[in-house]
Amino acid sequence: MEFTLKTFIFYGFALITIASALAVVTVRNIVHAAFALMVTLFGVAGLYVFLQADFLAATQVIVYVGGILVLILFGVMMTSGRLEMRIHIERGQLLLGGGISLALLMLLLTVIANTPKWENLTDDGTAFEPTTKRIGELILNEKFLLPFEVASVLLLVALIGAALISRKEVRD
Amino acid sequence: MVIPLISIILLCPLAAFVIFALLGLAKRSFPRQDLLSTAAMLAALVCSFLLLREVVPDPKPHTVNWISVGDFTFSMGFYLDSVTVIMLIVVTLVSSLVHIFSIGYMHGDPRYPRFFAYLSLFSFSMLFLVVSDNLLGIYIGWELVGLCSYLLIGFWFEKDSAANACKKAFLTTRVGDVGMFIGMMMLFAKFKTLSLYDGTENGIFTLVEGLSGTGDIIWLSIAGILIFCGAIGKSAQVPLHTWLPDAMEGPTPVSALIHAATMVAAGVYLTARMFPILTDTSSLVIAYIGGITALVAATIAIVRFDIKRVLAYSTVSQLGYMMLAIGAGSYVAGLFHLTTHAFFKALLFLGSGSVIHAFHAMHAHHDEDHTDGEAHEHDDHSLVHEHGSEIPPDQDMRNMGGLRRKMPWTFGTMLVATLSISGVPFLFSGFWSKDAILGGVLGHAMVSHSPHYYILFGMALIAAGITAFYMFRLIFMTFFGEPRNQEMHDMAHESPWVMVVPLLVLAVLSIPIVNPIWFNKDYVKPPPQSHIHAPAHAQLGPDTKTGDANSGFAFFWISEAQAAEEEGGKNTEKADDAYRIHKLAHNIAMVLSICVAGLGILLSWLFYHRRRFSAESVATKFSPVYNLFWNKYYFDEFYDGVLVALTVWKSRLFAQFDGAIVDGTVNGVGTVTRQIFAAFIGFFDNRVVDGIVNRVAEVTWAAGGRIRRIQTGAIQTYLFVVLGGIVLIILIFRAL
Amino acid sequence: MSLQHYLVISAILFTLGIFAVLTRKNAISILMGIELILNSCNLNFAAFSRFVVPPENVDGLIIPNIDGQVIAIFGIVLAAAEAAVFLAIILAIYREFGSIRPDEVDTLKG
Repeated sequence: MEFTLKTFIFYGFALITIASALAVVTVRNIVHAAFALMVTLFGVAGLYVFLQADFLAATQVIVYVGGILVLILFGVMMTSGRLEMRIHIERGQLLLGGGISLALLMLLLTVIANTPKWENLTDDGTAFEPTTKRIGELILNEKFLLPFEVASVLLLVALIGAALISRKEVRD
Repeated sequence: MVIPLISIILLCPLAAFVIFALLGLAKRSFPRQDLLSTAAMLAALVCSFLLLREVVPDPKPHTVNWISVGDFTFSMGFYLDSVTVIMLIVVTLVSSLVHIFSIGYMHGDPRYPRFFAYLSLFSFSMLFLVVSDNLLGIYIGWELVGLCSYLLIGFWFEKDSAANACKKAFLTTRVGDVGMFIGMMMLFAKFKTLSLYDGTENGIFTLVEGLSGTGDIIWLSIAGILIFCGAIGKSAQVPLHTWLPDAMEGPTPVSALIHAATMVAAGVYLTARMFPILTDTSSLVIAYIGGITALVAATIAIVRFDIKRVLAYSTVSQLGYMMLAIGAGSYVAGLFHLTTHAFFKALLFLGSGSVIHAFHAMHAHHDEDHTDGEAHEHDDHSLVHEHGSEIPPDQDMRNMGGLRRKMPWTFGTMLVATLSISGVPFLFSGFWSKDAILGGVLGHAMVSHSPHYYILFGMALIAAGITAFYMFRLIFMTFFGEPRNQEMHDMAHESPWVMVVPLLVLAVLSIPIVNPIWFNKDYVKPPPQSHIHAPAHAQLGPDTKTGDANSGFAFFWISEAQAAEEEGGKNTEKADDAYRIHKLAHNIAMVLSICVAGLGILLSWLFYHRRRFSAESVATKFSPVYNLFWNKYYFDEFYDGVLVALTVWKSRLFAQFDGAIVDGTVNGVGTVTRQIFAAFIGFFDNRVVDGIVNRVAEVTWAAGGRIRRIQTGAIQTYLFVVLGGIVLIILIFRAL
Repeated sequence: MSLQHYLVISAILFTLGIFAVLTRKNAISILMGIELILNSCNLNFAAFSRFVVPPENVDGLIIPNIDGQVIAIFGIVLAAAEAAVFLAIILAIYREFGSIRPDEVDTLKG
């Protein structure tokens, strides 16, 4: 694989994503963590672009960055006082969690490396049509109609549930 | 016609009782139960007379299958011969008259309808007993009459004496019934049937002809004696006679019907029915029991003062006569006496009832009179024992006397009966029947040359004399002389016509108008006792006797003929010998019986009418004998002192056995169980079972206390475990 | 830029997310870890869809299979809903316990 600009940018995105994700899990300040998460999400969106998933990348940016991240920041603001901004980490828990995570990572990497049919599947650089129209057809007209409707119901339920849970109980 | 007639005879009285019983269930009462029962009895009476005509042309038994169960050849039926018909007439006639008499006698009794219902039930039972063709049917009727007797003796159960008397009667007859039942079972074991004669080869009477071996004869003798035990109980023979005098606690019509005319005669009837199976041995036993009873009861009767007790002992005595006759082979004479006795003894009882009824108004003054009478009694009769003084004043002959003019009808009819029972010649039926018995016994003695029967003849003759004596003693004390108790005498009065008419009818029947039936040898024939005399025995041709019947002493030929028939056998010459002997015996017996009867009457007249001799002084002179008679040969004392005491002692012994050993064992087992076994079980339960349970619980508790710390409640801990577990599982599977 | 590149990136993101969930002492940080995990999943869907399933060729027109992308979109939808409910729960916990430290919320402790 020749080292092209495209490749360079891909690695750049990958690096940004992983580094910012590392920041998310390590930074003491939760607000910093939230911003690091934003960078991660952007990185993942860039990776979607490399996968020719233009609509997905756009959705990632809009929903995650524009919705979820804002929601998280709201949560941070509503629940944390100034002193709570810093995240406590216990040493033993850190070591144990790191151990388990590392083991998991090793496991996953071993699996990825040892699965033959995943080898040599490289991007041939073919450019596709924009996927938006096709996704629209799939969701609204073809096989994903039912999941779509279920997802809409799920969103409604989540909406009502969130409102119900988070509202202040009216006591007599 | 036979079956419907018998059905009517049986069903009429039963219906009368059933109506009473059903209404009783509804707490109601038929307004005129007395008329209903009486009408039922009269209907039965009419049917019985019709039946007489049915059977006359053909005196063979009428047997009808009644019930057949599966292939078991056990059939009930009606054994209808001339004797049955005569018994039916006697029972229905006496019963009807007693019903009519009771309308007057029981008037005003609080349980008046019940009395008639019981009478109806009794009549049904008695008739059923009479017509049954098998021993089981007889036994059923037998027990039913026993029940009715119990109910009627205890009819005035408010009196302790009546309540005790009915229990005594029931239990005493029960003793005999057990023997009878065993005898029945012996016959059943032998013959596989209880049917007496069913017209085929299967009846006992037919089968018994096949027996000849010594063992069979012994068997038959024992069975016959055991069945006779039932008759001993029911007919109040020695030694089970003690209940009958006590049974006089019942209303007097009951005494007349049940304890004089019918039920007690059922024992005689049963013995006569079983005549074909009687052997020489059992006949002799029966004759001795009868003879002893006749004599013993007669002697006891001499010293009674209770008018009903005199008649009761007289009844016992006369029943002994009948038994004696059957035991001596004078089958016809026994049954003849049964019928004549039924009439004149019923008459005597009803007459005494009439007298008692006349004094009945005195019941109001019963208590004060009683004390007077008792004191009086002690003055006159220092020998009288305490327990003998419990005579109701209206039954005590010492309170009577001179009633002849007050109660002419009662006096006249009772005199007829007394003459009849005393054996006054020719005009009275009792003479003929008693003479037939005496002649039969003597003839049997002379033919068989058996000393036993000479002794028995002597006993019977003495009893006959005593009978005449005490019967006239009763008449003289009651109806002649001066009134001993003026107050009671003044209140006495002749009974109403419903009571007098039965007396008159019975008085007519006490003269020999029924005798022709018995003198007709074609009508009443003794059944053969084939097993005894086989093979020599055979029926004599009727024509052999016809000539004899026309010659000689016409009235006696029946007894002689039948006796000759029994004794003689096929051999005409021998039969003629027997016939001559019997004729002689009857002449001797007649003369002797007239003599003893006359002697008895004369002595009685001298003692109690002319007062030539003092009964008291004689009693004092022969005080041991008097005491023996007065205390009824100490039978009751014997039973009380020995049997009852033995039973009580035995019961105490068993009670002690129960208390000491059975209870002791039970309690001991209980104690052992509780103290040792239960203690061990308790220890085991407390320590081992509970221990295991508690240890398990403690271990669980302790383990739970430790293990629950795993549940930290912190989700991250759980997550650690879950992910660690996943990693581990994957590693393990990869390693594999 | 083979499939394995994406898978490795995804695995790292996933592991980091797990690490966050296991170790962070703040419920919102845990939420962030979960978001990382979900992103890694979505990335996997898109990558497999891109590389493993061959595009259809209909009348010379190459139509790629984008089912994985659609699934990833649903995953994003789920993530949004999850985040909303999660934050609502966090708010409720905060009201109840005055804290959002997961080790302090241990009412179910045995």
